[in-house]
Amino acid sequence: MSNDVKENRIASVVLLLFSATYFAMAFFTIGQPASKQILGPDAFPKAIGILMIVLSAAYVAQSFRGMSKEDEARAALIGADEKLSSYVDVKTVGIMLGLMLIYAFIFERLGYPISTFLMFMAGVLVLDRRHLVRDAIIGLVISFGLHFAFTFLLRVQLPAGPLSWFGL
Amino acid sequence: MNFFDNLALGFGVAVTPMNLVLAFIGVFLGTIIGVLPGIGPMTGIALLIPITFGLEPTSAIILMAGIYYGAMYGGSTTSILVNAPGESSSVVTCFDGYQMAKKGRAGPALAAAAIGSFIAGTFATLVLMLVGPAVAAFALNFGPPEYFSLMFAGLTVVTSLAGRSLVKALLSTTIGLAIATIGIDLQSGVPRYTFRNPELLDGLEFLVVAIGLFALSEVIVNLCNMNQAVQERLEIKGGLWMSKEDWKRSIPAFTRGTLSGFFVGGIAGAGAAVASFVSYGLEKKMCKYKDELGQGAIEGVAAPEAANNAAAGGAMIHLLCLGIPGSGTTAIMLGALLMIGLQPGPLLFVQNPQFVWGLIASMYIGNVMLLVLNLPLVGMWVKILDIPLYLLMVFIILFSFLGVYTMNNSVQDLFLMVGFGVIGYFLRRLDIPAAPIILGMVLGDLMEQAMRQSLMISDGSLAIFVTRPISLFLLLLAVISITNPYWKYIGIGWRKLFGRSAAA
Repeated sequence: MSNDVKENRIASVVLLLFSATYFAMAFFTIGQPASKQILGPDAFPKAIGILMIVLSAAYVAQSFRGMSKEDEARAALIGADEKLSSYVDVKTVGIMLGLMLIYAFIFERLGYPISTFLMFMAGVLVLDRRHLVRDAIIGLVISFGLHFAFTFLLRVQLPAGPLSWFGL
Repeated sequence: MNFFDNLALGFGVAVTPMNLVLAFIGVFLGTIIGVLPGIGPMTGIALLIPITFGLEPTSAIILMAGIYYGAMYGGSTTSILVNAPGESSSVVTCFDGYQMAKKGRAGPALAAAAIGSFIAGTFATLVLMLVGPAVAAFALNFGPPEYFSLMFAGLTVVTSLAGRSLVKALLSTTIGLAIATIGIDLQSGVPRYTFRNPELLDGLEFLVVAIGLFALSEVIVNLCNMNQAVQERLEIKGGLWMSKEDWKRSIPAFTRGTLSGFFVGGIAGAGAAVASFVSYGLEKKMCKYKDELGQGAIEGVAAPEAANNAAAGGAMIHLLCLGIPGSGTTAIMLGALLMIGLQPGPLLFVQNPQFVWGLIASMYIGNVMLLVLNLPLVGMWVKILDIPLYLLMVFIILFSFLGVYTMNNSVQDLFLMVGFGVIGYFLRRLDIPAAPIILGMVLGDLMEQAMRQSLMISDGSLAIFVTRPISLFLLLLAVISITNPYWKYIGIGWRKLFGRSAAA
């Protein structure tokens, strides 16, 4: 059994469970409104839930039985997306995702320019550290440049962090 | 107001210095986005929406439309010179474009792509201008039931063509609809799927989902394999201009590409990528030099490039006249306009003529700018590919965070975006199209509203959707679009049941 088939089987079952949970939650977690309505707040979610269950069940069936010839012919006609290679550099992806979470965490605490510069440099160190000086300059220009462009030109507020002590 | 007054009004709006500059910035950024691998028009517009926050709605959509068109143009350049399509709608252009470049005919290939895009874009704008008001006037008679059915048909038709598997595409749409139900139900005030999280009461912002699913997932895809072989870039040898022979062969291809792209990709809602595939298939059947296709025939560049731009223009008709997105990119534009507080739809032509006609006029101007930007400056665009991949990835991360944060000043949104980035990666891996999720999300609330209003009119009877002719027609359209791949089975079953006579 190829990896691809296995992944689709797992995904289809996960989606079926997700659909069932969504549907069940429509019954148990959506309260009733004070005034009676023709279509309550839970009606639309229930309808979507049923559709999702039917479709994900069809997906389960497809992934376990394989696609029909018709579907494959259709896929060949529309096929614009190429398949992703199954090779995954887990270490790099993991570190970068971790960095993104840290970036989100320090975004307001350290302010936009500082956190952005740190994220930029961390990313460069992980991915390619051959041009550190050049990249450090780019990082400085980008993080502070964007901060000032947004706050002063576009008048969109960004968190200044400790820099606000200097009135920036 | 008559036609020429409208056009004069439009150019009056579009030719203000501010809007001209915005149109230029739009097509400029759009071309960059198109050239850069991996960032398509959807990602590009989603990432750049924050720039429009401080702008008037008219200026905002002029900028967005510029980006949209620019990205459609730019995608062809890398297809031809590097054999790496900038976005999915220029995959087909690689087939013959790269072969032409290998034979030293990169110049005519680039010219054919740009001129085809220009002709198709202008044609689509012209049709929008001519039929738009009529379509909008017709749609003004729509009540809630018609609107519900229209959105239902829109969703099914668009998604039935969105991905390689019908089931996966439709499933993706319903996930989008499900996400749209998160937050306080506006009619009853009851919270739904909020998990007691106060920030979820307003629902999930579509931009959080869109940037996660498209921009961040692209980053993850690239991070998975950073050591991809760098492809050889071909030089542009000789002039850019097409010979007489090239023109003679291209003009019919332009025409076929424009028409097929406009109707298949635009009006039928199949999107630019499918439009380009269909037009290439059409060339294989109709073109005089079909044996040369795949080995560097100019028709193979001219037709698909015309088709994908015509499709982009056709999708704008849906957005402006009906308020229904006909493609993933226009869904993002619709979401952005709703955020600014403007509801696109037939009323726009009456209430905001300066918006509609200003946009139309700026689409003409943008097309001319693109032709000028692309032909003589093509060498400059290719240089953009010198940006190392790792820097590009870090830039996309920074812009994603910036865009999502500036929308609501919410750190929680940032975490959610990263989550959707991971989900987006798995969807890509599983070949589940992500664009229908955005369509479903943007239309979900509107659909629910229309459904409730309809049932209020009918006092709770669902029959209202099938007793009104327009609504019935639209629902039938939806049914046909979903079931047509399976019609063959009905025939087969019929033959099995009633013997061979039915087959003969």
